[in-house]
Amino acid sequence: MIAAAAEWVAATPFAEWAAGSALAYPVANTVHVLALVMLLGGIGLVDLRMLGLFRRLPLEPLARALVPIAATGVAIMVLSGATMFAADAEAMAASETFRIKLVLIALALGNVALFRWRYGAVPSGRVGAGTKLLALASLLLWTGTAIAGRLIAYT
Amino acid sequence: MLKKLLVAATILTLPATALAHHGWSSYDDQKVLKVRAPLMDLKWGNPHGTAKVRYNNAVWDVILAPVSRMEARGLTKEMVGPGKAVVLEGYPRKDGTKEMRIERVTATGKTVELR
Repeated sequence: MIAAAAEWVAATPFAEWAAGSALAYPVANTVHVLALVMLLGGIGLVDLRMLGLFRRLPLEPLARALVPIAATGVAIMVLSGATMFAADAEAMAASETFRIKLVLIALALGNVALFRWRYGAVPSGRVGAGTKLLALASLLLWTGTAIAGRLIAYT
Repeated sequence: MLKKLLVAATILTLPATALAHHGWSSYDDQKVLKVRAPLMDLKWGNPHGTAKVRYNNAVWDVILAPVSRMEARGLTKEMVGPGKAVVLEGYPRKDGTKEMRIERVTATGKTVELR
């Protein structure tokens, strides 16, 4: 499935631009890192708060401020990631690490959906064991995604 | 709590430190390949340029550098264009794949470092 997507995207003018432009790839790469800071710096803090760190900060306003930043980070990374995928589609399709990364993203987004369905977009009130479990899953899955992403170039 | 987190983070990043570093360490720099031949199927693109070259009766994949680095150092697509003999100095992959990563290119009398 990834191979088919790679073959399709490699033939598009978008892919030609992504690989051919001297700037597209390094810019997408840089934007990807900055957006990752938004994601992990945003949701990571909310996760840590739910796990019991810095309890003096009220959870609801913290989440209200940081969750949109994290979500914006994800949206930006979809675009920067698509640009880098298009430029190097054939190698990505063959990369085991890239596949692991996609699975981790799917799990992390599933975790987001589960959390929102169960506790709402912005968590408030008492932080129970269930909330903590999903917060820990969020922290591990997004961190794992970032690690897998970084390792694509090295494996 | 913070201590536990630090331990967890360390464990989580262990595979990253245990794994070999990017590209260059996948290649055997003790075996220097020197090829004088024209590049075929040149892709002047990112994340790095690629081409194919005939070496020892086989077609090898050639891994170049990112476009902006090559151009900043004075290597252009035209200099290594079709039919132009260039000298490649690089290393073969350790796993035996017929692929070489290029350390330096000499084209039109000019030598450009790619690392």
